Amino acid sequence: MRTALLIVHGLVAVALLGAISHQALATWAPSRARPNSFFGRFRAVPSASYANAIVVLYAVTALLGGIVYLYFRIDIRPDLERAGEWPALGLFDIKEHFIAIGLALLPAYWVSWRRPRAGDPARTRVALTSILTIIVWWAFLIGHVLNDIRGFGA
Amino acid sequence: MTSSRFHSFAFAYGTAFAVLYVIALKLDLALFTVYPSLGLILPGTHHSRDVGSPALAFLAPEMYWYGWTATAALGALVFGIVAALLPERWTQRVWPDWQWVVPAFAMIACVYLTLPWFRL
Repeated sequence: MRTALLIVHGLVAVALLGAISHQALATWAPSRARPNSFFGRFRAVPSASYANAIVVLYAVTALLGGIVYLYFRIDIRPDLERAGEWPALGLFDIKEHFIAIGLALLPAYWVSWRRPRAGDPARTRVALTSILTIIVWWAFLIGHVLNDIRGFGA
Repeated sequence: MTSSRFHSFAFAYGTAFAVLYVIALKLDLALFTVYPSLGLILPGTHHSRDVGSPALAFLAPEMYWYGWTATAALGALVFGIVAALLPERWTQRVWPDWQWVVPAFAMIACVYLTLPWFRL
């Protein structure tokens, strides 16, 4: 059960990573002309249309992560503590904190893309998207570090 | 809830949550403590050293992240509702960039509060 949950958690996280990377790049460097390169096509997406998907994917990933975290605390973390992997556990704690802050930012993020006020500066939207992008990438990478830290077959 | 009220709620909620989460983390104010191996949830913050040997943490590890998040979410909900009830002309005068500046600083604060892990 927990392995299945972890795999689904990882798969949803990959979808989220792709969606938010598309949106972030399109926000930072919007493609003006007709894209000719892979990079050009990657950022030539309608950014606002990604907002709903990102909110749903983030919420689902966080929920699944919150469930998997229970198994991690019982089965994995004690071993890491005994092995003295304190920096890895510290990185994981930072991931937890970032995830929580990002979760609470989702309403503001959604509003900034889908229901902005007339006077809202564009930089707010860019900044919120950037913060969420940093959180998602951090969580993804650190999640993998922790997942792989015991090595194959351990 | 109208679009404008939700706008005010969303921006106040995200900002307040970030501040309250750092406070909850720093002061260890978990709304509840989870013991996953026992399937137990106790209200408030509990440490194994409060009632027995610290070694109990290995037998019945406790989790605070859910509690810290709940503490911040509950507090932020109050701020969000108050902001949604305020007249729009008041909320429009708030600097809109607070909603990302505050969370960004909160993230830095979380990193700072986690630094002891790297000195072990």
